[in-house]
Amino acid sequence: MKNLWQIARALWQTAPAFRLALLYLVLLGMVALALPWLPLAYTPNELDLDQIYQAPFGGSAVADKPRHWLGTDGLGRDVLANMLYGARTAFAISLPVMALASLIGLALGATAGLYGNRRLYLSRARLLALLLGLLPFMYYGVYLPTILSSQGGASSDFLMTGIAAIGLTLLLVAGLTLLFKQLPFLKKKAPFPVDELLLRLIEVQTSIPRLVLILVLAAIAPPTLLALSVLLVLTFWTGTARLARAEMLRIRELPFFEAATSLGYTQKRLLVRHALPHLLGPILVAFSFGLAGLLMLESTLSFLNIGVSTDLVSWGRMIAGIRTNTAAWWLVAIPGVMLSLTVLALQTFSYYVLQFLQLKQH
Amino acid sequence: MANFVLRRLLVAIPTLWLIASAIFLLSKLMPGAFGSAHLAQQEAGYYSRSDAASHDHSYRQFLKSTGQDLPLFYFSVSSAALPDTLYRVFPERDRAFLQKISWQYGNPDAAARFFRSLKTLEASLTETERQPIQAHLYTIYSHRNASELEEATACIAALLPADRLKHSQILENSALLLANSSGYTFLSPSMQWHGSQNQYHHWLVGLAKGSLGTSLRDGRPVSTVLAEAIGNTWWLLLISVCFATMLAMELALLMVRRSGRIWRSMLLPSLFLLDSIPLFVLAMLLLVLLASPAFVQLFPVYGMGYYSGYDQSWVQQLSQWLQFMALPMICLVLANLPYLTNQFYQSVSAVAGQDYIRTARAKGLSEQRVIRSHMLRNALLPVITHLSDFLPALVAGAVIIETIFAIPGVGRLLIDAVLARDYPVIVGIVVIVAIFRLLSHLLSDLLYALADPRIRTHAS
Repeated sequence: MKNLWQIARALWQTAPAFRLALLYLVLLGMVALALPWLPLAYTPNELDLDQIYQAPFGGSAVADKPRHWLGTDGLGRDVLANMLYGARTAFAISLPVMALASLIGLALGATAGLYGNRRLYLSRARLLALLLGLLPFMYYGVYLPTILSSQGGASSDFLMTGIAAIGLTLLLVAGLTLLFKQLPFLKKKAPFPVDELLLRLIEVQTSIPRLVLILVLAAIAPPTLLALSVLLVLTFWTGTARLARAEMLRIRELPFFEAATSLGYTQKRLLVRHALPHLLGPILVAFSFGLAGLLMLESTLSFLNIGVSTDLVSWGRMIAGIRTNTAAWWLVAIPGVMLSLTVLALQTFSYYVLQFLQLKQH
Repeated sequence: MANFVLRRLLVAIPTLWLIASAIFLLSKLMPGAFGSAHLAQQEAGYYSRSDAASHDHSYRQFLKSTGQDLPLFYFSVSSAALPDTLYRVFPERDRAFLQKISWQYGNPDAAARFFRSLKTLEASLTETERQPIQAHLYTIYSHRNASELEEATACIAALLPADRLKHSQILENSALLLANSSGYTFLSPSMQWHGSQNQYHHWLVGLAKGSLGTSLRDGRPVSTVLAEAIGNTWWLLLISVCFATMLAMELALLMVRRSGRIWRSMLLPSLFLLDSIPLFVLAMLLLVLLASPAFVQLFPVYGMGYYSGYDQSWVQQLSQWLQFMALPMICLVLANLPYLTNQFYQSVSAVAGQDYIRTARAKGLSEQRVIRSHMLRNALLPVITHLSDFLPALVAGAVIIETIFAIPGVGRLLIDAVLARDYPVIVGIVVIVAIFRLLSHLLSDLLYALADPRIRTHAS
């Protein structure tokens, strides 16, 4: 954390563009947080059918109603309110999604980088038992709870399956491990290829373009915000994981890390105390780049009206309104500029942080 | 070389199989996924019984002809509280009901018998007999605890003549259901083996033979639907990627020149700016500015125009096609320009500091000659990798562009299929996209090996 603060302060003093980007982001965040207390004349989903397709800065068409400062769309929804609430939605979706995706990516990538292909030794018996233990866990921990919740099961039923899931799995794993250890082949310890596994997983996932994958999965999943967020997390962790792995490989070769290893510290301590502080900077870069990508993807999805419900206030939904009337330029210009500026600010931010980090390395 | 290609293909096939299988199985696992549109049409006429029967029959026919009456996978694991043959019960609301009662009473046999006698009873009723017990039937379908079921069957027994009840044995079976209910049957799993007569096996065999199934929307083969769409996408992608590559290369060469400082200070920030505009915003902006009557109408707005066929020469046809495709292509080129230019510029400027460039300059070669024949050749190698990495972004771009400009290509087909939940088409598109990516990787490997002898010798 101290590390990040230092980066921000150094950049703040040297790069005016960085200062501008950070100021914009902070301001946008503050407005989005303070929205319920701002004196807006209209709510974003309020229909004003007397005043449709009002141009920005025009006078009010109906005498006793407040003005629509930035115009209205085809159903008379206020563009200003939609724009501000759209920022709120955009960040409410993308921040938690990206945070979770970064966390998953960091954990997997750093582990893969630290252990490589031949540093994590697992006994074959334990590994096989764990794989077999997955079966009862999937049945009691995943399959039964889903059916129970669809059938409206009582909480005692859920408790039962929970106990069965944990108890049976543990019992099976412990018992099978003991059993398998009797066999000479399974008794040996073999290196577990963490790195190879992660790389294969990423390769499989990225063999389909992200947008196509999300579209396909959105056709299968129910169109709720939660389902969409889960899909986004599942497709966005790969970038961070790749970066964290590459950084970890670099850090592992540095003298201080070798010194720490030769002092005999545990792997956990090496990871948390010695590697993690150095990983934070690159992760910040990946986070803000990913956030920009996520903002674009989220608004593209709501523009295509896939995976999100139509009453979700967002920039993409407002831009989609222009397809029925191409003369209403403000419907694409205002939210489009807002979206592009936010993406630009995030990219500027990560560009400068990246440059700072690279400068420090050399 | 052939060895190399073969090895690469062998590695890629499992990936393809994994992704396509995952999406196929996921799409089948979701409730309401198959033929729900067909089902919805029947719901309207459900209460007129003769109609219901014929609808039921045609629905079964539909499922049989599309192979959806088979189990999903080679084996299935389900709770012992659910009947084995649940997947054979149609329509879906009946299946949900049977699932509910057997789950609730924990006894699949008794539940199935009760369900069957309930259906027999309903089928034997005349319209006048049906009227008074309608409410009780409804109670049976939606009951929550055993006493409600008991009460409802008792009421039905009081209202109906005895021979109907005897024929369907509903009283005996409901008593059986209530008597044999047990609490925690659902905790024990039951496994069934289905053998190769399952949907996944049929699909996989079809896929291996090159058949992708039939579209749920119009019953045409998916391969035909795809073949109609793929031409437009292919030309759109090919032409825009060629333009974007050439433009990016020229821009990178402009910037790397010694006198290119002014280009650098102008181009780099504007490309950075362009990079932060999402593709759909860019496309809509250009559409509003260049193709709407409110501003400048340079281009036609949507679609591909009308094909007026015979009387046009190919020049006229081509010019009409270009008119409609120009704006979409401009959008794709502009959207992909920043990334490409940046990559090209980086690889060119990495070469620019090399010793042999200094030598070439010291020999007194012209700047043009140094760049074109000494720098470019060596800078091209990394560019090949970037080009193949960048294809997925291009495919994603095609989806957006085709939707906005109403071009009947694969991207638009994907959006339509997603909105209609037409799973065979979706799986087909995924397979096509994965193959496309695979081929592009292969192509870049080949180019790499052709360009650099060291790689060739290392690979074989």
